[in-house]
Amino acid sequence: MTDFTPAPMQSLLILGQAAQMQSSYGPMFMLSLFIAASVWIGIQANNATSSGGFMKGFFLGNRGLGVWALALTATVQSGGTFMGFPSLVYSYGWIVALWIAGYMVVPITGFGVLGKRLAQLSRRSGAITVPDLFRTRFNSPSLGLLCTVFILFYLGFMMFAQFKAGAIVLQLAWPSGFLGIEDAAVNSDYMYHTGLIVFAVTVTAYTLLGGFLAAVWTDLFQSLLMFVGVMILLVASLWAAGGLENATRVSLENTGPGFVYGPGHVGGDTDREFLPLSLAISFWVIWVWAGVGSPAGLVRLMASQNTPVIRRSILMLGVYNTGIYLPLIIICVCGRALLPELEQPDQIIPQMALLTTKDWPGGSLIAGLILAAPFGAVMSTVSSYLVVISSGAVRDIYQRLWRPQAKRGELRMIAWGTMILTAVFSVAAMWNPVDYLQVLIVFSGTGAAATFLVPAIMACYWRRATANGVFASMLGGALVVLLLYLIGIMGWAPVANIGAGSKFRPLYLLGLDPLLWGILVSAILGIVVSYLTAPPEKALVARMFGPQQEEIAR
Amino acid sequence: MPDEKQSDIDPLVTSSLREAILVVLIWIVAATWSLTVSYQMGYQREPGDLNLVFGFPDWVFWGVVVPWLVFGALSWWFGSYFVRDGELGEDLDDIDELGLGG
Repeated sequence: MTDFTPAPMQSLLILGQAAQMQSSYGPMFMLSLFIAASVWIGIQANNATSSGGFMKGFFLGNRGLGVWALALTATVQSGGTFMGFPSLVYSYGWIVALWIAGYMVVPITGFGVLGKRLAQLSRRSGAITVPDLFRTRFNSPSLGLLCTVFILFYLGFMMFAQFKAGAIVLQLAWPSGFLGIEDAAVNSDYMYHTGLIVFAVTVTAYTLLGGFLAAVWTDLFQSLLMFVGVMILLVASLWAAGGLENATRVSLENTGPGFVYGPGHVGGDTDREFLPLSLAISFWVIWVWAGVGSPAGLVRLMASQNTPVIRRSILMLGVYNTGIYLPLIIICVCGRALLPELEQPDQIIPQMALLTTKDWPGGSLIAGLILAAPFGAVMSTVSSYLVVISSGAVRDIYQRLWRPQAKRGELRMIAWGTMILTAVFSVAAMWNPVDYLQVLIVFSGTGAAATFLVPAIMACYWRRATANGVFASMLGGALVVLLLYLIGIMGWAPVANIGAGSKFRPLYLLGLDPLLWGILVSAILGIVVSYLTAPPEKALVARMFGPQQEEIAR
Repeated sequence: MPDEKQSDIDPLVTSSLREAILVVLIWIVAATWSLTVSYQMGYQREPGDLNLVFGFPDWVFWGVVVPWLVFGALSWWFGSYFVRDGELGEDLDDIDELGLGG
């Protein structure tokens, strides 16, 4: 799930705190195991991509993604799924089921709208990166450059948040007393900075080794780990709460009618509405279409092996999503019944893990697994962003604009240098993070979807689309979202008291999320400007849309 | 929007577009079902008239759980029978000396 709120970072902090409270070696053991497994995966990925061209191997896994890798990594994108989301269920109640309901169609929208066509288009154009694809599809270097700038900007800021989150977990998963370091020291800046460096070195190392495949395989590993963790926790929670009916009734008594009805339980004296109908509609658009337009997701579709893989990915993701989202809601409702007064709702998953497994043999390790899996999600997200950022710098800037003749060794050095530089820059930015960075992080999640969704659809299906039209579509979508966020955050207009509480709230025009306005403006500008500009060359259109050469020959 | 003859278009483009249009229709139907049922049954309810179905509030069961299973089954049908397989074509990168594609 794409992060649209700052909640995941806060949630990871809580995960770490819960792990520390446990005063056990389980979480640290599982984290260490995960890190070791990731490095091993990086080595295997390096072996797998050593044949063939460097660019396509390192940045696109030689277009060899199979069903498991594609299904479980192309749309499940970050740790937000397992961290911010549960805290919302705990806080606002059953209404979050409607908030997330759009995910029931994500398997078909994620693969059925662009999957086959994007995989074909990327082969026809020889594209390895998203900017590559737009540049070649529209024969426009300036469009490719604009894409590169947007991707570096969005993914850069989204990655900063993940670096901080990873550092905090490593800091706080440290068992009290281990190696003589006591609680006070664990909570110090020194241990945060140590965690930041360890996290950065680990993720960068295995990504350097294995590139795109390392990112995908660790993503797959954590997705499977999380599925197992959620299944175990579901059974344990229902058992502990005496069944779902009892859990719902007790949680209702613990809170109020808002917990079981719309627009959700907010508590206190506030008149805020968590999910009025306008926002419910918005989230049916956000979860479905933001996933389709995400740059990291587009790259994975480009890497898919063949069309049967894309078809089967729909089936597999359908099973996965059903097994993750509905059970997580049930677990958190049980949590509200069993732990009614958590001061920090983000504690719900780790606290439930600790509570329900404490009497089990090996319960500490099971709790550790449940605590470690979201950390894995953060690692794989960072790894995936590192690959996309590095590919943008190497393919779209260095190779395209500077040294088209660069050889394998040179490209590898530049790719490695870019990743190391990005990691160093991220560590520097997160060493003493400043408040305004969070604004850019929140904006980047929505902005990326508003920037790329409509252009990607135009590139795939509309022969009359022009480079200028797509250029206007990208800029328009991005600027509208930016403007609505600026108006809300700067207080230039009254902001509706709806949604989850956050100090970075956008202007909800007509009660709708900025992403909807961004997509609308992006579509209008793309169509209007395309019609106002000269049609694309027939040869280019034929090359991108026409029958394959061998079919013509027949 | 189409301004050229059908035969000028690769069959995979045509089948992809057909599938994408169906996906959009499915999304609209799913959203309409879920939002309508949930809003009608789950908003502005009186405290105390809670009805549970298998432990779910009735509006969650009929507005989220049931459509989730129905559209899960539809996704299975879509992936198994509706989506048409096709050749993705030769990778331009493999035939371009510089590996720069277009």
